[in-house]
Amino acid sequence: MTPGAAAAPLRVVIAEDAALFREGLVRLLSERGHRVCAAVADGQALLAAVAAHRPDVAVVDVRMPPTHTDEGLRAALELRRDRPGTGVLVFSQYIETRYAARLLAGNAAGVGYLLKDRVADVAEFVDALARVAAGGTALDPEVVGQLLGASRNADDLAALTPREREVLALMGEGRSNAGIASALVVTTGVVEKHVASIFGKLRLPPAEGDNRRVLAVLRYLRS
Amino acid sequence: MARTGQVIPTASPAHGRRPGGGAAAARVALWAPFTRRARRELLFCLAAIPLGFCLFLVPYWIAGPALAVALLAPAYDSTWVAAVAAILAVLLLVALATRVARGLGAVHRRLAARLADERVTPPPPLPPGRGVAGRLGAGLRDGPGWRAAAYQLLKLPLAVLEAYAAFLWVAGLVNLSYPFWWGLFRNHPPGVTLDPVPAALPFPGRLFPVATFAGTFAAFAAGAAMLLAAPWVAGAVVSADRRLLRRLLGPGTLAQRVRDLEHTRALAVDDAAARLRQVERDLHDGAQIRLATMAMQLGMAREKLDGEGDPLEVRQARELVDEAHRAAKDALAELRDLVRGIHPPVLDNGLADALATLAAGSGIPVALTCDLPRRPTPAIETIAYFCAAELLANAAKHSHASRVTVQVVERDGELVLAVGDDGAGGADPAAGSGLAGLAQRVRTVDGRLEVASPPGGPTTVTAVLPLRA
Repeated sequence: MTPGAAAAPLRVVIAEDAALFREGLVRLLSERGHRVCAAVADGQALLAAVAAHRPDVAVVDVRMPPTHTDEGLRAALELRRDRPGTGVLVFSQYIETRYAARLLAGNAAGVGYLLKDRVADVAEFVDALARVAAGGTALDPEVVGQLLGASRNADDLAALTPREREVLALMGEGRSNAGIASALVVTTGVVEKHVASIFGKLRLPPAEGDNRRVLAVLRYLRS
Repeated sequence: MARTGQVIPTASPAHGRRPGGGAAAARVALWAPFTRRARRELLFCLAAIPLGFCLFLVPYWIAGPALAVALLAPAYDSTWVAAVAAILAVLLLVALATRVARGLGAVHRRLAARLADERVTPPPPLPPGRGVAGRLGAGLRDGPGWRAAAYQLLKLPLAVLEAYAAFLWVAGLVNLSYPFWWGLFRNHPPGVTLDPVPAALPFPGRLFPVATFAGTFAAFAAGAAMLLAAPWVAGAVVSADRRLLRRLLGPGTLAQRVRDLEHTRALAVDDAAARLRQVERDLHDGAQIRLATMAMQLGMAREKLDGEGDPLEVRQARELVDEAHRAAKDALAELRDLVRGIHPPVLDNGLADALATLAAGSGIPVALTCDLPRRPTPAIETIAYFCAAELLANAAKHSHASRVTVQVVERDGELVLAVGDDGAGGADPAAGSGLAGLAQRVRTVDGRLEVASPPGGPTTVTAVLPLRA
């Protein structure tokens, strides 16, 4: 019944300062057969735990002690630089486009940025975590929405049909064509046609692989 | 709102002078000594005698001992003692002059508010200095303090005139009485010659002799003239005094007022930003994370219920729903506290109700009295409420007090909130406590905070706020 558990169990480190939420996450992931190596409450402890356990993926809250500003994000950036093999899922109560831009700078492999609200859909959350652990991308629809809204290429975006905009948003979140097809309840063939049309209208080079598509989309949106 | 000294027209000591006819003018002139205003101005003049003369000397009492040593030491051939004492005297005078002058100014202001209908807004408080040098410097640069000192100096000649006005009153009344008692004491047998009785003239120190009953009528006439003149003299002198009060004991020039307003505006803006930040943090760390946890628990429960109906999974789902239920209740409680922290709904019913609710929730027994004939504006009520809340919390946290009193009254057109406890005392606004923040918040509406908390207690913190902001 649990699609996430069928895949190889993940080794996870969690950094989250709210004890209640941290315990909930540990329980959720454990029940799905994943292994939580360490659950810590601040950025320094996160770096130490990752160094000690070498997990597949780290789940990181942005705001943690001691300053309660962005130490989680800074720790996440450090992990991205020093341990490219470890996936980093930044998990926060609010979305900052600038944080997303810094996380995705140059490389969207093995990175995610989700609102904590998304944990309500357990299966989707665990899917996103697995995707990040495997080197993919998981961006919150909010992030993509903000980037779409803030994009300077408004004229090009206006050329997209509403359906194509939906597909673009889902691509930005890091979903594969199959994922997009199931989310929109259409066939993969239809999605492929939409994707080709989007790439054509936005003059994006066609690319293979999920995160390269994300990068291409984001680069377009930010340019 | 501009809160510099309010001007109440005082050109004439008599109210309600109507145009029309010499008869009406004569009635006003005759009636002048018997109006309420004339009585109050007489009292003001009488009070000016001790205040003007004695308070003027206060700085010398402080520096007096050192000054005395400085003057006496040369007689004993110890020049260095004299030098040290002289330096000490000067230092004491300079260091304390503005502070003492401010204190005395407050006495004069209160008297003027009571007896001369002159409500002068106090100047902004002396900015606190760090260390001995800082405090000395703050005292020396204290413009309002020096203005208050100038008032003490100018009050001296004014007090002489005020004393003269009081003399006109008193001597006039005495002169009026001569014809009435003359017969009682002068019933001597014929042939006996008695010394004449002196009667007062409008010129202090000058007397004229009254030797006959007919002469008493001269005294009576002089007394009547003095009594009729007294309210006009008193009115003129008091009016000059009020002008001086406004000029020297008020908040100062417009430029100073602007500087002060700029400062308090900055405080208000900072305070508002800090409060918003606190609310954001409380929401982020409280209700928001509880709701996220709850969503997670419900999501997990739903997944378990989506399964085959395995009894174990159903039981786990029930546990998760229980936890989510608890989290929802906690989130509600936290939101309720937060809402009360932003604006207690009961405050809409008035300060008395809000303070009663606050007192009921206090850990220490609170004796509350709230007597406000007029309702302050909402902003003032809110500030008063949060002052009381913070002071009660302070008392519960730091004082080890066994009981607390909270008193709210209207005095001289201001709201006075006094929170007292019988605890350990030693509260110091300069020590970076919540009291400093409170003082700043009170200042944003031209209020002030007074702290009396000697080591060993008891502590009384008084917040004085205008009724409208």
